[in-house]
Amino acid sequence: MKIGKCLVLAAALSLIVAGGASAAEKIKVGVLLPLTGSQAKFGEIEKRSYEMAVEEINGKGGVNGAMIELIFEDDTGKPDVGRSGVEKLISRDKVPVLTGGYSSSVTAAATPVAQQFKVPFVICTGSADDITEKGYEYVFRVNPPASEYPAAVESFLKEVAKDVKSVALLYENSAFGQSSSKSFEADAKAAGLNILVKEGYQAGAIDFKPILTKVKAANPDMIYMVSYVMDASLLMRQSKELGINPKMFVGGGAGFTLPEFAKSAGSAADYVYSATLWVETLPFPGAKEYFNKFMKKYGSETEYHGAEAYATMYVVADALKRAKGSPNVTPQAVRDALTTTDMMTAFGPVKFVSYGKKTQQNKLDTYLVQWQKGELEAVWPTKVATKKYIYPTPPWSSRK
Amino acid sequence: MDVFLQTLVAGLLKGGLYALIGIGMTLIMGVMGIINLAHGQLMMLAMYITFVLNTMGVDPYVSLLVAMPLLFLLGVTIQKFLLNPLIKVETILPENQVLMTVGIGMAMTEIARFTFTSDYKYVTTEYANRTFSLGNVSFSVALTIAFGIALVFTAAMFWFLLKTDLGRSIRATAQDKDAATLMGVNTARITVITFGIGAALVAAAGCLLAPVYYIFPDIGGPFTAKAFIITILGGLGSTVGAIFGGVTLGLAESLGATYFGMEFEDIVGLTIFILVLLFLPGGFKRLTKV
Repeated sequence: MKIGKCLVLAAALSLIVAGGASAAEKIKVGVLLPLTGSQAKFGEIEKRSYEMAVEEINGKGGVNGAMIELIFEDDTGKPDVGRSGVEKLISRDKVPVLTGGYSSSVTAAATPVAQQFKVPFVICTGSADDITEKGYEYVFRVNPPASEYPAAVESFLKEVAKDVKSVALLYENSAFGQSSSKSFEADAKAAGLNILVKEGYQAGAIDFKPILTKVKAANPDMIYMVSYVMDASLLMRQSKELGINPKMFVGGGAGFTLPEFAKSAGSAADYVYSATLWVETLPFPGAKEYFNKFMKKYGSETEYHGAEAYATMYVVADALKRAKGSPNVTPQAVRDALTTTDMMTAFGPVKFVSYGKKTQQNKLDTYLVQWQKGELEAVWPTKVATKKYIYPTPPWSSRK
Repeated sequence: MDVFLQTLVAGLLKGGLYALIGIGMTLIMGVMGIINLAHGQLMMLAMYITFVLNTMGVDPYVSLLVAMPLLFLLGVTIQKFLLNPLIKVETILPENQVLMTVGIGMAMTEIARFTFTSDYKYVTTEYANRTFSLGNVSFSVALTIAFGIALVFTAAMFWFLLKTDLGRSIRATAQDKDAATLMGVNTARITVITFGIGAALVAAAGCLLAPVYYIFPDIGGPFTAKAFIITILGGLGSTVGAIFGGVTLGLAESLGATYFGMEFEDIVGLTIFILVLLFLPGGFKRLTKV
């Protein structure tokens, strides 16, 4: 009798559980990305990477039996649109977790909404420093803050390029550009470098000759540029036109690592260094595989933004898996699971920690890459190098 | 001194291109009294035509011969089938035609995105990075050629408007549409041709810009804004004004970039725009009287 009762109870329980699981066959994940507008190119790489990751996760049984369904919102690159996109994802689609976030300005506008409605937001890219400096409990960031991009450049200057004494700093006048240039300036001053020129410019300019002429007149040992891809290529092309010969051209992340940069700048791209967050040759499990799979699936190359999105999706899936009550998760449960995230991804180790003014921020190494004969080679730190660095940069006149 | 001269040269070369963009818009504005807010988008289309031809090995300067007629036809079609019918429609909004151009611009941008994706495209030519120098001042080969061609086009335009029958009709329509109609000018036809010419001129600017800049679907917006500023600077409908307006904007941007900081590039242009509206409401046309 007693056993019979227990059996009935167990059957009933299992029914409830099964019923629960079928009700949660899908877990919605909201993704905010620029899918149209001038940043759509990066939005597209990230969207494809998110989709590729979800395909793999769902193919392996999803999150505790529930399939992940991505709901993309197009922020069009505008903060107000991004804000209302997040509001829509939270109030209408009722997603338990948000991710994406490409440009710093859009991310900065969207994160307070997530905080207000208490829905966790795992930022993929949006890198301006202050986004994780506001003490938001529901905001996590996989991307290192913009101020940490130059770390690899600094160690290179300290150990190899010791004769670099003066710098020209050019940056695009955006949240990202200002944030990166400010921190680079502070670090450069601390390292005893002389900053000869410091100029912001409007992204999308046709003609960089006015500032490049100034740079040429100042004749710095190094030119550090924070630019997106096409500005980057115009800067290099016009540096060649004007015959500016520093010991090093360095790109501070963003555009200088993209294949388009080398294609559009042509031979002017050679020897250019860039700080980067990821290259496919890094010794992380799945890094090279991700690159190859992307290439095979979409027929075009990917780069660090994509790797970041791919890894971020795995981080989100991992949190959904571990969250209390999974797969019937609440935003609160996902948030709690994210605070204990500690995993290895194709983008590197991910763990949300607090340091300095930052909270729930992933800490990552940065790397130095250099264009050599049209190929992007990892050159620094030497433990991940694929080729030896070429320093100093040969003057334009001696190149073929 | 070198810095100043280099800035001056850069501004002047850019200004020549701006003038070409501005003339097309000012012509349309003068004759039809509407602001063509799809102007930059027309240029974007011309750049994509240049790009497609370039992948087949056609030089950007040769593609002028293809892009200009194509854009002329497109302009004619837009005016004839999309803008002219709106004149007859009674609405509370007199700016219907202007709004229509906004819509056309958006549609063109999204069609370009659909066709070419939002990837950046560029035209590869062996002279794109070439320079020559006079003293310590370097001249970009591509921009110098562009400047020369822009000059030829503006001069030809000028001659056309002053000396030919069609040109005179265009000017008559611009001055007083009703009077022109009474004098036997087929103004409906003139507006159609004018839009075509405006589109062809901005197409030329697009082809000339292609070797030095890059192409993406959203490139039109900022250039529409620039064309608008140039048109106001020059005085509505004034060709000579547009030339001065273009060169002024180019020079102001370059000088501003060198001596204030390049981040203020757009602010410099817009400040001049406001100053002209306040103190010289007719634009440079008031000064030249042409």
